[in-house]
Amino acid sequence: QKNGVSNGTLYKKTFIEHFEQAPMYVAVLTFLGFGVGTIFGYLRDFMRAWGLEKRNIAAEREQQKDFVPLYQDFENFYTRNLYMRIRDNWNRPICSVPGPQFDLMERVTDDYNWTFRFTGRTIKNVINMGSYNYLGFAETDVNALKTVTIELQKYGTGVCSTRQEMGTLDKHVELEKLVAKFLGVEDAMVFGMGFATNSMNIPALVGKGCLILSDELNHTSLILGARLSRATIRIFKHNNMQSLEKLLRDAIIYGQPRSRRAWRKIIILVEGIYSMEGSIVRLPEIVSLKKKYKAYLYLDEAHSIGAVGATGRGVVEYFGMNPDDVDVLMGTFTKSFGAAGGYIAGKKDLVDFLRTHSHSAVYATSMCPPVAEQIIRAMKCLMGLDGTTQGLQRVRQLGKNTRYFRRRLHEMGFIIYGNDDSPVVPLLLYMPGKIGAFARRMLEKNIGVVVVGFPATPITESRARFCVSAAHTREMLDKVSTA
Amino acid sequence: MNVGVAHSEVNPNTRVMSSRGMWLTYALGVCMLHIVLLSIPFFSVPVAWTLTNVIHNLGMYVFLHAVKGTPFETPDQGKARLLTHWEQLDYGVQFTSSRKFFTISPIILYFLASFYTKYDPTHFILNTASLLTVLIPKLPQLHGVRIFGINKY
Repeated sequence: QKNGVSNGTLYKKTFIEHFEQAPMYVAVLTFLGFGVGTIFGYLRDFMRAWGLEKRNIAAEREQQKDFVPLYQDFENFYTRNLYMRIRDNWNRPICSVPGPQFDLMERVTDDYNWTFRFTGRTIKNVINMGSYNYLGFAETDVNALKTVTIELQKYGTGVCSTRQEMGTLDKHVELEKLVAKFLGVEDAMVFGMGFATNSMNIPALVGKGCLILSDELNHTSLILGARLSRATIRIFKHNNMQSLEKLLRDAIIYGQPRSRRAWRKIIILVEGIYSMEGSIVRLPEIVSLKKKYKAYLYLDEAHSIGAVGATGRGVVEYFGMNPDDVDVLMGTFTKSFGAAGGYIAGKKDLVDFLRTHSHSAVYATSMCPPVAEQIIRAMKCLMGLDGTTQGLQRVRQLGKNTRYFRRRLHEMGFIIYGNDDSPVVPLLLYMPGKIGAFARRMLEKNIGVVVVGFPATPITESRARFCVSAAHTREMLDKVSTA
Repeated sequence: MNVGVAHSEVNPNTRVMSSRGMWLTYALGVCMLHIVLLSIPFFSVPVAWTLTNVIHNLGMYVFLHAVKGTPFETPDQGKARLLTHWEQLDYGVQFTSSRKFFTISPIILYFLASFYTKYDPTHFILNTASLLTVLIPKLPQLHGVRIFGINKY
């Protein structure tokens, strides 16, 4: 839906996002599919229990049969009966770098996916539509990685210390300065693990007596960080500003649950691009809400840094906003920069606080230097500091690829979720049978995709998720869409 | 932790019955059952209706009131392991629209069955007994109640 006139001044360009609902017969067929699968599951369980069919799953030893069971066997029902049937579509071993194309090890199963064996052959040049390789930095070009190899020789692979003891190397300082410059903020701090950046720092920022308003579809790292912080968590509907405003008003009017005191802090946790939906956060509205109700904003740009924005600086640039408006800018280097780790950026006071109070700074080892060098190289390339326009070309290529791919799929009549500008393209499959069939068929045509179904998504919305990359050429995208 | 999951819903089982298209699928399923039973030449119309009613109530009892827990692991350390699906619906909130729908549908089926069996005494007893087995567990007073310890663990 296009925005109405009331928000016309907030958004500088039109914000087109669709979550088209499938026709009713599709939903009915999906439920019938699950129903049939469930009935067959019960049948197979019955046959297994009565010895008519072989039991393939792990069993306890004879001596342990009288003990209280550790697991409820019903909890395994889906895994046993539905997931095992289509298990060959996940955890496929690759034997090359996950660039725009990669090589897969061929594996076959003799007993319907309970065990696999490798035939020894590799499937070459499978188009990779599953890696978060947005800017195409997952490459093995020796010249490009020369600085990384030099650093590897110089520093070794691991920093065996935490940031606060002996683990802050000059590489970290250089990287942090570069990240701060890239984002346009005062200071930044980098961590070795992207997931840990969220889960270790949110507890440092909020505590008991604070309120966290988090989006429905937030990533597990944000949820874990929120739960570890012992603050009160309230969830608002995905990207729904009315729901968020209502929660904010109720929080300020009614205060904490029983004592009615004011909340110590109210923080809004959102992500830049949501990886399963492909939707982009409504940042201008959230910032105006946060200013009106005096809350803090924590923006997790794991998927959007490097991927959206005219020069790849994330959703803040995509909406043309001031990075000072967002209190805590968080992101990961795993997706667009071809490295590992995460960062938190913001005002200098905030980052200095985190340097002393973050769990990760005290207990976790810091990022290893070759990885830091890879990020420095990628970021310099993006910012144009290495003297070429290659970074800008990559960002533009990603934008072109995204728009082209989305338009092609839309013209073909598939239901695609999400914003028109997001490089994450979920293609809705709905029926459980299609999940397995789609992934296998794509592999036959040499395309590797990621599919997800219930219970990871709502029951009627199983999907295949494509991640467009700057390294994909137009022919590759054509091949994928016509497959 | 619900790692690898696209939503922050702790127990998706609570939302299944109110998903889009579930009610329609359920109604179509009951109609299909009835048509199959009607097409068997040995059953007269009253017998077919009573059988539909009884089989439907049996299925509903087994899937909503007998089977406990979730067919997948939930991140809440098994809060719902001892709860039947009916008790899990909407996290135990009573009188939501799904609960009302699934309470009313066996009653409608009962009315239809009573009409088509012309209120014959044997059919009446069968239908009423079957309706009671499916209505009584749905009462809010019986939320979490296990009579005589049946189905407790």
